[in-house]
Amino acid sequence: MGQKGFFTDTTLCIGCKACEVACKQWNQLPDDGFHFTGMSYDNTGALGASTWRHVAFVERPVPLTGLTKGGIDFSWLMMSDVCKHCQRAGCLEACPTGAIIRTEFDTVYVQPDVCNGCGYCVVGCPFGVISRREEDGRAWKCTLCYDRLGEGMTPACAKACPTESIAFGDLDDLHARAENRVRKLHEQGMTDAYLYGKDAENQPGTGGLNAFFLLVDKPEVYSLPPDPVVPTMKGKRTWGMVALGALGMAAMAVGSVLLGREARS
Amino acid sequence: MSDSNGNGETLLDRLQRKRDGRNVDPALGVLSGEGSQQRVKDPEGAYPAHGQQVTHLPSRAEPQREDAPSYYGLPAVKEPVWIWSIPTYLYVGGVAGAASLLGLAADVMGGPRLAKLGRRCLWVGTAGDMISTVLLIHDLGRPERFLNMLRVFRPTSPMSIGSWVLAGSGGLNTLGVLLAHRPGWMGVVGRSAAAGAAVLGMPLAGYTAVLLCNTSVPIWQATHRALPLFFMSSATAAAGSLLSLLPHAPHEARVLRPYRLAGKVAELVTGVAVARDAARVSEVARPLKEGVSGALWKTSRVCSAAGLLLDVLPGRSRWKHVAADVLTTAGALAARFAIFHAGKASARNPQATFQGQRQGLGAAEVKGNTLAADGKPLKFPLPVLR
Repeated sequence: MGQKGFFTDTTLCIGCKACEVACKQWNQLPDDGFHFTGMSYDNTGALGASTWRHVAFVERPVPLTGLTKGGIDFSWLMMSDVCKHCQRAGCLEACPTGAIIRTEFDTVYVQPDVCNGCGYCVVGCPFGVISRREEDGRAWKCTLCYDRLGEGMTPACAKACPTESIAFGDLDDLHARAENRVRKLHEQGMTDAYLYGKDAENQPGTGGLNAFFLLVDKPEVYSLPPDPVVPTMKGKRTWGMVALGALGMAAMAVGSVLLGREARS
Repeated sequence: MSDSNGNGETLLDRLQRKRDGRNVDPALGVLSGEGSQQRVKDPEGAYPAHGQQVTHLPSRAEPQREDAPSYYGLPAVKEPVWIWSIPTYLYVGGVAGAASLLGLAADVMGGPRLAKLGRRCLWVGTAGDMISTVLLIHDLGRPERFLNMLRVFRPTSPMSIGSWVLAGSGGLNTLGVLLAHRPGWMGVVGRSAAAGAAVLGMPLAGYTAVLLCNTSVPIWQATHRALPLFFMSSATAAAGSLLSLLPHAPHEARVLRPYRLAGKVAELVTGVAVARDAARVSEVARPLKEGVSGALWKTSRVCSAAGLLLDVLPGRSRWKHVAADVLTTAGALAARFAIFHAGKASARNPQATFQGQRQGLGAAEVKGNTLAADGKPLKFPLPVLR
């Protein structure tokens, strides 16, 4: 078993969307409709209930750092986004039915036969990954191909990726691989390259992501939050305020009864 | 696929496969993938993100793009999928909780003269719990599975805690209504149940705020200190007003008046605290100032203030009291809808997420980290590297 995850190296992504197609096909996800966003080559928009891989296309009016030849003042950034399978998963910690579980591969999985569609995971996710399909009424997201993993197979997206931008494997191997890659890129002059969400040190709000990324611009550029936090981390303070409020409510109730009673006598 | 090699295979199957290879295994056509169970009514427009307007094209760089980038202005977190029944429940559940609590106080300390008030509170609490349950089940994507809410107890999920609190409060209140007035041990059971429900009434009025704050919706998360107090004081004001609107005796009015007045004052004060909490980041505070949620929020503040003012003004006319209580009720309801819609608007705005986190409202608030996920300082301006 062991911890499995994805390392998505965005510097290798060519935006072919093979991962999107492979994911749709393997998981037999329903159609999203043929729509044209008109903003870039991205006609998918965002991750959702029936879109578990999404390739983002960022068009920048600046060259890549370290790019010396060609003299182009323009660059494309492409990133295949996916559920992050956080170490502290907002969806899992929010789920009131126990439908969302952590699997033996350390991934986060929604059991469709248990989910009752309360919609709390949708707002619990700091990355806006999980979503509820209106007609279906249940929440859906990437399973990290739980069914394939059980058979010892590679997830469909990683299998289909022609450039190994999506690497699947044991988390320790992926970490080593990612660090090597960053070192190499820095040597080549691409000093902007960094790992997003590799571990708890890098991203204390989520405790690290099982599906982490190599990015070359600010996280916001890729629609990723710069300092994500699992909302439950702030729960203690909020419950503390409820305790304070309860004291206040009790004081108001007792006080008004005493006041009303005394006024009578 | 392995099935076809088993006993189910006929001679014809084998012959055909040998001859032309065209008899495709029917198992290949079976929809058994993870997502194949998704119900789809209308494939076109099935995905909500497609309806969103792209606010700016990257090639038309806006002046502020350098410090505040986003991905084509698309939301960074998902909008809540909840419908009108949730903000309505926020009001009803709060009223039920606060009414149950007043009922217990009247029973324990009010003596026999306030027994009727106690019983009325018990009824209001019970009815509120019942309506709350219906409203919550109505919002579920799969209402027939509502009992799954009580399948586990998850302390990290305010919704799980809330489900148990509501179930407990509803059950105990019902028991109280059925048994509390009876003699003997049944009365003791009934009164204890009603007392239990009243104690649960306090978290019932407050957990709904935790439910909202414990999300990634920027404005809800940013108000996580003031919102519970606001909801609980608003619940007190609303319960006091509702009980005052119901027929009651003059000596009961002397209890109800301080209760609702305390609630109304506390609601106004904590309302200011909520707005101040949100105002720490301008993009986060936006929905309370503009749009539908802004209008609702302003309406709610005006109604609550007018409700308090009218209540403390001298004069004993019936219409004045009714108007004050109706205004307070309207203010409490509008506030719930304002907070709800502010959350929706806030989730749609990527800058609320990004700037909130850049200005220390993300993990930095609890973890104290000074670096963003890209290893650079959280706050802008960032060092320009190119």
